[in-house]
Amino acid sequence: MGELYLEERLDFLNRSQNADGGWGYFPGKQSWFEPTAYAMLALNGAPDSERSLDNAWKLLRSWQTPDGSWRPNGRVQGGTWVTAQAVTLACVRGVDDPSVRASVDWLLRVVGAEHSLGMRAASRLHLLKTKLDVSHQGWPWRDGNAAWIEPTSHTLVALKKVAGNYRRAEMNYRIREGEGLLFSRRCSDGGWNCGNPNVLNFDLPSYPETTALALLGLQGRSAQELASPLALARRLRGETRSPLAKAWLAIALRCHGENIEMPAATPVSNDVMLTALEALGHPLGNFGLLRTTGVHA
Amino acid sequence: MTRRQFIPLAGIAATAGYASLKLQKPPKLPDGPPGNSPVAILRAGSYSEDLVSRMMEGARLCGLDARGKRVLLKPNLVEFSSSTVINTDASVTAAAVELFHRLGAAEVRIGEGPGHRRDTLDLADDAHYRAIVPKFESIFTDLNRDDVSPVRGFANEPEFYFPNTVLGADLIVSLAKMKTHHWAGVTLAMKNFFGLVPGSVYGWPKNKLHYIGIPESVCELNRVFRNTFAIVDGVVGMEGNGPIQGTPRSAGVLVMGRDLVAVDSTCCRIMGIDPEKVNYLGLAAKLGHVHAERIEQRGETVASVRTNFALIDEFSDLRLV
Repeated sequence: MGELYLEERLDFLNRSQNADGGWGYFPGKQSWFEPTAYAMLALNGAPDSERSLDNAWKLLRSWQTPDGSWRPNGRVQGGTWVTAQAVTLACVRGVDDPSVRASVDWLLRVVGAEHSLGMRAASRLHLLKTKLDVSHQGWPWRDGNAAWIEPTSHTLVALKKVAGNYRRAEMNYRIREGEGLLFSRRCSDGGWNCGNPNVLNFDLPSYPETTALALLGLQGRSAQELASPLALARRLRGETRSPLAKAWLAIALRCHGENIEMPAATPVSNDVMLTALEALGHPLGNFGLLRTTGVHA
Repeated sequence: MTRRQFIPLAGIAATAGYASLKLQKPPKLPDGPPGNSPVAILRAGSYSEDLVSRMMEGARLCGLDARGKRVLLKPNLVEFSSSTVINTDASVTAAAVELFHRLGAAEVRIGEGPGHRRDTLDLADDAHYRAIVPKFESIFTDLNRDDVSPVRGFANEPEFYFPNTVLGADLIVSLAKMKTHHWAGVTLAMKNFFGLVPGSVYGWPKNKLHYIGIPESVCELNRVFRNTFAIVDGVVGMEGNGPIQGTPRSAGVLVMGRDLVAVDSTCCRIMGIDPEKVNYLGLAAKLGHVHAERIEQRGETVASVRTNFALIDEFSDLRLV
């Protein structure tokens, strides 16, 4: 049963690839970077997938911009957070060329706008409506905007995967800063939401899927630091009804070495991203491609 | 100098979601476009009442013509919480689907792009949409992950991207929830259009809109999308620390109209809030009518259904005297 679960999902992904080489969020729709990245990770190493993965990578590379960032879709101008996914994919594919290094440089250059001097001053003067520590440098969805948990987590995974190739002090500094941002924005229940743990003195609850992503970003941190959020992640996985949250939690917990039970037998969804993440999170899936180690100061 | 006065003087870039620094309202609002705007207030004491009939009456009072149109219903789906009143009630959305079919629409779809949560379909399921709205999955589009096309001239951006489902609609219907909002004061029909912006391009939350400015973004969305109609779910709204952590407040009404500025202004008055003090309505006064004398109130009167919604301290000055 377990292998059939995975095979059905990989088969769906194989069948839903667009002619241009990418995947849409749903079959037959425009190709987007995000579902394409997850589909590529899920299919990595699958029998007879090499050519389709090459086509996908070729399409994604055509979306890189001159500043090193990557566009989320062929119709959208300007690079975004998917640049982190591009670096992760490049690492998985063993690509380390000047264009990928330009992407890494872009990630190292981009900082959440709430870290600006003005915002830090406003924070010190208690002028912000949120109890937010703006002293750390994280990553935004788009350059020029504030940092949030999800893009910061994806970027941490990417930078940790390639850190060994660079050995730059700046790289380690930004990784530490990004981790600091994640720790500073934990919700009072121990997990993470999109990045606002408190508004107007009211604590906001964490989200299961974002808690999973933050745990991916924090791989390599000490067991003591992560004991509480990992325990929460285990509990959330049992409680949440969201298939997307379940898939991300399975990936995160497995990357942290947890031996969780097989996923329940469910029909394959028409949602490409969800299906790819479910395949990645399967015990025989490619979740290990998102596994990283920490960096040392 | 008060804290609020200091903020703009200090020249600090407002980052709503992080800072959302509140600006002073302009001293006097423009008169708005020519003519008056009809807004219908219908009593609906509970979701088990015949909402379709109420909406049919509202459509008649507002002169709504949906014949042959491709209609997109945009409910407000924000957060997983089936036990409270964050989201537009599924009964209201189901009734709106039936309403537009009866009015002869060529197509009726439902679309939403939540600002924080990524599992839109499951969020809708949690809000009982799959159970209550007939054939829900076949008519629903996750606007966060739809195909997109560029639009020029939105908030002075060279290109801004919107879902093709939105761009292809002849009529976009804001099925909003009557709620207070901890950044904007209130969230009603106009702000509900934040969910038209695709997360796949702008993220979760759609932080770009915060940098443009919440009031400015609300106005831009309503300037760009003009073929619109509103049905506000005020059967049970939310007061206090909305739009998520507030408490339920029954106003027992549906509020409908073609002029979304007038609809929101009417909702404010029902909630005991002065619309002329709400920043985004001040900016929107050139798009529609805020002034009470320019709004033709049909159905119930505001006074007969007025239900003061509790306001957090930050917005206590919005109270309608």
